[in-house]
This record gives sequence, C-alpha cells and structure tokens, in this order.
Amino acid sequence: MADTEKYARTDQDILAAMGKPGRAYLAGLGVTASLAVIGALLWAYQIRNGLGVAGYTHPVNWAVYITNFVFWVGIAHSGTLISAVLYLFHARYRTSFNRAAEAMTVFALMVAGLFPLVHLGRSWVFYYLIPYPTQRLLWVNFRSPLIWDVFAVSTYFTVSAVFFYVGMIPDFAVARRLTEGVRKRIYSLLSLGWKGTEREWRHYNKLYLFLAAFATPLVASVHSVVSWDFAMSIVPGWHTTIFAPYFVAGAILSGTAMVITLVVPMRKALNLYRYITDDHFESIAKILLFTSLIVTYAYIVEFGLAWYGGNIVEMESFRYRAFGDYRYFTWTMFFCNSLAPLALVARRLRRNTAVLLVVSLLVNVGMWLERFVIIVTSLAHDFDPYVWGTTTVYAPTYVEVGISLGSFGLFFMLYLIFLKTLPVLSITEIKEHQ
Amino acid sequence: MTGEPLIFDDKEIFLENLRRLVREGVPKDSIRTITPFAVPEVQEILPQPRSKVRLFALIGAGAGTVTGFAFTILTSLSWPLIVGGKPIVSLPPFLIIAFALTILFGSLSTFLGFLLLSRLPSIRSIRSEEEYGNAFVILVEEGRR
Repeated sequence: MADTEKYARTDQDILAAMGKPGRAYLAGLGVTASLAVIGALLWAYQIRNGLGVAGYTHPVNWAVYITNFVFWVGIAHSGTLISAVLYLFHARYRTSFNRAAEAMTVFALMVAGLFPLVHLGRSWVFYYLIPYPTQRLLWVNFRSPLIWDVFAVSTYFTVSAVFFYVGMIPDFAVARRLTEGVRKRIYSLLSLGWKGTEREWRHYNKLYLFLAAFATPLVASVHSVVSWDFAMSIVPGWHTTIFAPYFVAGAILSGTAMVITLVVPMRKALNLYRYITDDHFESIAKILLFTSLIVTYAYIVEFGLAWYGGNIVEMESFRYRAFGDYRYFTWTMFFCNSLAPLALVARRLRRNTAVLLVVSLLVNVGMWLERFVIIVTSLAHDFDPYVWGTTTVYAPTYVEVGISLGSFGLFFMLYLIFLKTLPVLSITEIKEHQ
Repeated sequence: MTGEPLIFDDKEIFLENLRRLVREGVPKDSIRTITPFAVPEVQEILPQPRSKVRLFALIGAGAGTVTGFAFTILTSLSWPLIVGGKPIVSLPPFLIIAFALTILFGSLSTFLGFLLLSRLPSIRSIRSEEEYGNAFVILVEEGRR
C-alpha cells in the first residue's frame, strides 16, 4: 500500500467520528445538556435568593462549591501532563490520548472557573479580583493566595487553550479538505491557510516544543497555588507544607482517571481500536497506579505529621477526619484512591479496559471526596470547640448538589460537542509514526 | 513563480528525488516542499537557519517576568497598606505572579512569533482550492532547474 493510501485511511477513520450523530449520542447530549440547564437554573435561584440557599453553616463556609473548583482544576492537570510532559519525553502512546486530554483540560478549566463565581454569592462583583486601575486607587492584594489563583488559573486556561488550538492547526487543514459547505469554510479559517510547507513545519515544531516547555511547569505550579489557598491559612488539617506536592499528585491521579473514563467509551463508540491500543491503555494505567501510590503516601504522611507533630488541635482534626461525622467519606476516599488502583499492579487487569474504566470511575469519586473531606472536615473541627457538636454538621442542600451535577453535565456536554466538531486524535502525529 | 509540482505518494521516493535535485545542482533556496506531516530529513537535505521562534519565546518570557515584578511592586507602593503583617514589597508572593506572567507572555509571544514567521494566517491559502492531499510535493522555482 502506498503511503498516501495509508494516510488517507487514517484521515477517513478519524474524521468519520465527525459524521452524523446517532441516537445514543443525541440521548447523551440531551441528558448532559439538561443537567447543565438544571445547574444554571439553580444558580439563578441562588443569585435571586442569596447564598442562604446553600447549606453553609458556621464555621463551614467553604464547602461543595470550592470542592468542585479544586476537583475540576485537578481534572485539568492530566491534559497538560499527557500533552506537554509526555511530548518532551517522546512517549509514543501520547498520540492516543493527547487530543482528548487537551480538550478535557480546556473544558474542565471552563467549568472550574465558574465555581468561584458561584461561591461568591454576589457573582457580579467577581471583577474585584482582577487588578485594574480603579477610581479608589486601591489595587488587589498580591499577597493573597486567592489572587495567585486568579493569575495561575487564567494563565493555565490561556496556555492550555493555545496549546489545544495549535495542535489542531494541521488537522484543520485535513478536515478542510474532507468536508463541504459551511464546515469546509470554518475549518479553512481555523487552519489559517496551513499548507504544510517546510517553513511552516520548521516554525511549527519549534512552537510546539516551546509551548510544551512552557506548559510543563504549570503541571506543578497551578495545583500548588490552589493548595496554598488552604495551606496559607492556620486551619488545622490545611496548614501543612506537604499540600503542594500532595495536591499535584492528586490532580494528576484524578486527571488521568478522567482521561481513561472519557477515552474507553470513545474508542468503542468511534471504533478507534487501530489507533488506541491496549498497549496504550496499559501505559496510561501505569501513570494512574504510580500517582495513586504517591497520593497514598501523602495520606500516610498527613496523618503521620499530625501524630508526630504533637499539636493536639491537629491531632483532633485528623481523629475527626477518620472517625468523626464524615468518616464514611474518608474511608470511601481511601478505598477509591488507595486500594482500588492497586488492582492495576496486575498486567492482565491493566490491559482490561472494563477494569480500567471501573477503577477510573472509582478514582473520580474518590478524588472528589478527597477535596470534600479536606475542605469540610478541617473547617467543621477547627479551633472553635463551641461548634464541635453534631447540630452544626454541614450537609449540602439540593441547590449545591444540583449545581454540582450541572457542572458534570456541562463538562460532558462540551466533550460530546468536541467529539462531533473537532478531530478527536492528532491526525498528523499518527501519520508521522505510521 | 514555481514550475510544475513533482508529486510523490511515497515518502522515501520523495526524499530520494529531493536529494537527486540537490545533487544535480538545483539551488537549495529555489526548492520548496509540501508534506502531510513534519519530515525531519527535509531539514537535513535543505538546511535552513534555526527558527527564530525561540527569540520570541525568550523575549516574551523575559517581558512577563519583568511585568510581573514591576506590576506587583509598583501597585503595592502606590498605596502602601500593610496586610497580614507582611512587608509592602513581599517578593515571595510576587514571584508567583511573575512566574505566571512569564509563562503567559512567553507562550503568547511564541505563538505570535510562529504566525509572523510562517506568514499565517494566509488569506490566499485560506481561499485557495489548491490541494495536494496526503502527497509529498516538491516545487522548484521556474528557470532555476
């Protein structure tokens, strides 16, 4: 078979995913869009009635919304790891996952960015966080971790979006060639008139390398900054130096789990078995297993620090975490994040996509619970023994649950739209390795 | 003005022909190639100066670092208010802002550099119907072959 025939088949296989949607796809889109709309309506209800409709109870004034923020920023991390870090290490299996992971990063950050606004209550004053010259001549407080977050997350979103787009420029040129009508015109514009000349490739390769190099430190820095939202305070359970690496490892664990959750059904639905093989899944399963072990180590260190530090408030905080009102969440978290991934020690199970999917779903649940446990148990049991009674236990209301489910609906809806509008795999990179 | 394009279905045959043209004495600067993906051998056969995209990366990143520190220090000094007992000019937290802006400006400037150096977006190419599909193409300027 001539090279061009082989490449033409790759074009057809990958762009076939962008064909007419089937019933299952439309049903999925309907369900996810409905959840997103319900979430939006509940947010509108909260804006109308005030933050009182959320279950905040003194001293738990950070809860599910901040849990969702940290969770979604964490999900975004694996995108950069797979795209940028694996690119720098020349890992071939990256091409099976990088486009899905980059899309996931951008969508997860879009969803994450909503939660500080939801949590604000008076969402319309969010611009107070942005440094701009005001009439009061007062600038934002650059010493506050909340402002670091604004810079870290907005930088991360911008760089990830540029990386996502740049990776697709040559693929848009392929899509332009194989589509008709309005779609052809849109892809032509998006391809910027890419032709594939030696000059374009020379500068493109350099650009991609530099973007990967710029994005790589973000894998470590962004979730470190998010962790400092907590670690910079003096709340027991939060004020610890291991938070940055602990959060980064957790973010990569949850992001990798989400990539697997998205790519396993995608491979089946779009029949991409030729391009995403069991070997590729085995490689990504190793990342999941490795980061799970780091997270488990962080759990042990966290409890170890509380015990060895001898601070009675800290010790009480961790006793409460394991045996207090939220103990079921804590133990479920240990099971999902530390025990379930151990199944992947067995090579046979790493290559079994059904097992991988179940483990990745458990990790998704576990990582959401981890953020909930860190945020809520620490606040519910801080220096104020007056509120340590069961009457003040925080529980999310239906508004918080609905907005949280809405965020999942929005994320999966955006991902489904991505499947039908953009090339789901990096066509040019696959051809390069054929 | 380029002559008739030489179109190949196979990467190796395309490279052989490219080498042959160079051996036959066709000036390297008169040869253009179009490929469906990056072919590193083309760069070896037709050596080009190193991409200047790296300069955009360096200048952008440097500008980001300077902006980050200048912005945080000057705005803090313009209304010197002690918050949380920390110094007015607190370099450790300002470093975080400078770091974020280094990455942000560096990435955006690299992308801009790529667009400028590759002469994209190209309106003519966007409107053009000329397509070589997955073929490997050699174009030689007329009269120089």
